[in-house]
Amino acid sequence: MSMEAIPVSVLTGFLGSGKTTMLRHLLRQPEFSRTAVIINEFGEVGLDHELIEASEDSFIELQTGCLCCKIRSDLSQTLADLLRRRDEGRCTLFDRIVIETSGLADPAPILQTLMTDSTIAGRLVLGSVVTTVDAVNGVATLVREEISQKQVAVADRIVLTKLDLAGPAKPALHAHLNALNAGAPVLVADHGRIDSGAVFDAGFYDPRTKSTNVRAWLSEGSHDHGNARHDGDIKTYAIVREEPIRAVALTLFLEVLAEHCGGDILRLKGIVNIAESTDRPAVIHGVQHVFHPPAWLDRWPSDDRSSRIVFIARRVPQRWVEALLEAIGEEVADVPT
Amino acid sequence: MTEAGEHVRELLVESLVAWRVAGSVARAADGALGIADARKVIRIERAPPHLPFRWTVTVDGRKRGAISLVAVLRQVREALDPRYAAKRVRIAVTPLVPSQ
Repeated sequence: MSMEAIPVSVLTGFLGSGKTTMLRHLLRQPEFSRTAVIINEFGEVGLDHELIEASEDSFIELQTGCLCCKIRSDLSQTLADLLRRRDEGRCTLFDRIVIETSGLADPAPILQTLMTDSTIAGRLVLGSVVTTVDAVNGVATLVREEISQKQVAVADRIVLTKLDLAGPAKPALHAHLNALNAGAPVLVADHGRIDSGAVFDAGFYDPRTKSTNVRAWLSEGSHDHGNARHDGDIKTYAIVREEPIRAVALTLFLEVLAEHCGGDILRLKGIVNIAESTDRPAVIHGVQHVFHPPAWLDRWPSDDRSSRIVFIARRVPQRWVEALLEAIGEEVADVPT
Repeated sequence: MTEAGEHVRELLVESLVAWRVAGSVARAADGALGIADARKVIRIERAPPHLPFRWTVTVDGRKRGAISLVAVLRQVREALDPRYAAKRVRIAVTPLVPSQ
């Protein structure tokens, strides 16, 4: 068994910026076959693990908290456990770990943990930090969300996504990225597809190559920040329905959300049991004003066939969302299939 | 038929909260729902079956049809929330079910 330090790469980026889509593509590449994946979702119902195809024994989901604060200590423990399982031959003999952070995560304490935690020191080493940036909402997000600025600033590689929707990246976006992090090459992912060799090839993370701001963040004390890092108006919740949802009801539901909430829906993602297609669930994604057409899975990824729609939203009450879905479902009940 | 169901009443109550606008929802004797705030009086009822829409929304005496709850919410919010700029969006540009 090799005792060389195993690189831990961090994939970060604001909500809905395409992290999971890109990771899903990368994990299909042969050079990523020996990769352990840790996904951190900020929500009470995690979905990304259902939407990523990865070896189950080398895949870990950290739920119901954000890596940068509430469950940060869990990260060290999770990594230590992962190493133990590897040493004991109880999981794939991985030679790389990728951590996908939640979109609301402050990356600095995560990187700091990976660079300094004594329980993993010597066995793991911080590799590349890759940050995805949504070309559609990128400028607005960078202006409004301090966390997204930090995510860009710490990156070794910046990956622009959704250029198919936004067209060529606007000069304003490049200007923002350059101001935050002039040293990181800017790559482009096309529906998650990207040159896998170019993404995590930056070698080991070197804070000395980063801005003074980044160096200051990484040298801050490791005290627990609780949820203070996050905007208190941002809430996460999930709508779960056991009964299938009519396609027309889902359409009207999304239409109202986009029309009335717009930019306050920071992220919506869901796996939905559509009444007209109960064997093939729909996967829905929305980011601020942009709602994507549903993608259809060939089959359910697990035995759980409930519809689960996760919201990360600013000042959008859960009770309103639930009342909306109920009322629309009742309204369309008599619409012929 | 004027009765608007309980789910619709609850949706209207929660909508006022979500939009952070003042007002209260009450059910009239004929089953229609009314919203009253300091400036507007709104009545929401089921449209008669011979009309090509499901609902009628009456704002300060002016009655308009609404083809679905989506339109009801839009009309109510336009009446109550001066900050609201309606953005009409259509979500379904692809088939609602997967092609075989």
